Amino acid sequence: MSLPYSFKLAINSLLHEKWINLLSMLSMAAGLLFTAIILLAVYNIDRMTRNLPEKFSVMLYLKDTITPEEINALVESIKKDPAVEKVMFISKDEAFRELKANLRNTEYVLDGLGENPLPDSIEIKLKAQFLAPEQVKTVTTKLKELGGISEIEYGEKFLSSLHSLRTGMNVIGLIFLIVLSAGMIFICYSTVKILFYRKDEEIKTYKLLGATKGFIRTPFLIEGAVIGMCGGLFSFLAILSLYYTFIFRLSQTFPFLRSLHFPLEIFLALPVSGLCIGIAGAIIAIGRIRY
Amino acid sequence: MIRFEDVSKHYDNQTALRKISFSVEKGEMVFVTGPSGSGKSTLLKLVYLAERADEGSVFVSGWEINTIRDSDIPVLRRKIGVVFQEFRLLFNRTIFENVAIALRIRGFDERDIKARVFDSLKTVNLRHKSDNYPHALSGGEQQRIAIARAIVAEPTIILADEPTGNVDPDTSAGIIRTFKDINARGATILIATHNRDLFKDTGKRIVKLDFGNFVGEGIA
Repeated sequence: MSLPYSFKLAINSLLHEKWINLLSMLSMAAGLLFTAIILLAVYNIDRMTRNLPEKFSVMLYLKDTITPEEINALVESIKKDPAVEKVMFISKDEAFRELKANLRNTEYVLDGLGENPLPDSIEIKLKAQFLAPEQVKTVTTKLKELGGISEIEYGEKFLSSLHSLRTGMNVIGLIFLIVLSAGMIFICYSTVKILFYRKDEEIKTYKLLGATKGFIRTPFLIEGAVIGMCGGLFSFLAILSLYYTFIFRLSQTFPFLRSLHFPLEIFLALPVSGLCIGIAGAIIAIGRIRY
Repeated sequence: MIRFEDVSKHYDNQTALRKISFSVEKGEMVFVTGPSGSGKSTLLKLVYLAERADEGSVFVSGWEINTIRDSDIPVLRRKIGVVFQEFRLLFNRTIFENVAIALRIRGFDERDIKARVFDSLKTVNLRHKSDNYPHALSGGEQQRIAIARAIVAEPTIILADEPTGNVDPDTSAGIIRTFKDINARGATILIATHNRDLFKDTGKRIVKLDFGNFVGEGIA
């Protein structure tokens, strides 16, 4: 089977049924664009939330009665925990100085306190892989068993919300990806099926003349691929316009938009995804050829 | 080359062929004749697998048609050139493309296709119509295009179902001359026709059918 001839047949057919094909391409483009926007949202939320745990730490407030030797022993003991990345002792004086620095011009509010009310504390940074809410809870439970600690504080609710948000977004993204991909495959399937039915007599003649299944299938696969890839290219242009609008136009009014990331992989994946979806739809539409 | 052994074919409650047995040797040209509805077309359809026999066996080029593998069907069909009764032309393609499709299916290269198609169209006197579309041609001309397509790849077997049904006597004689020439080059030809004038004095074998029964054979 000559591939150029299959291409010629496919292109002729695409041009002959131009309106139905254009409609399919635009539907594919809309589907791919919507998918890309969801993936971008998931990507950006994931990116933003991924950096937040770096600022997360577990604070241990120590009892007033604890001796410097006990503090050293406590720090060494904490360091041995495999979940712990970094341990920092903050003396009550250091904490007070930091508080004063933070208050800046309003530090006079501390004047009436007399002596420093803040306790000595230990700040613990956990390794990234131990930042899931359950794991942090396990670590803090172990820490509670150590002596000399009066209170343990960490952003339990914040950490839990962050985790839920990331998981939720990933699940929503995946669901949308599956549903939209199925929808786009169906669009391509329907278009190729219509073209296939319209050429029913022609295909029967091909079969009677001795055409192989490949000879019959190839032009339809090419049509599906072209429909999918054109849909992908349209969505690529649309997302490029969005990128331009967000980064160069709207960001002048809303500076936070500058922090949005448009990864190149998503841009390039659109025509390739369109191509694969188009071919998949065409394969299903043609089905099994029988003589 | 082609052999029918006790072949029967039924359509609903009607019998199209009943216990037909005969064979066509390699390089032979045979006319299958009989009135309309005698089973001539069905007989040809069994050879190129448009239909399957309900009983008996059909052998073509070494294949037993009823047990042939699906993947061998296009291989067998490419050995056969068929002039369909309803022509089966592609109305959205030019005459050139209609003839060329038989070669494209067989994987011929472009240069060879061009030469062969023009040769074939010249044989049926329609070289000058190569850029036309089938709807611009008369029934007789369409039939000649169907013949050109059947012979263009020089298949080893040619089946023709009423190949002169729509043409005038002079053209009919020309078509039969063409088939005889191709036959002389070694092709096996089986022609179904109800027109006795077509095989008169050809010296070829005739197989007679009536109501699906084999009623005799002889030499024209």
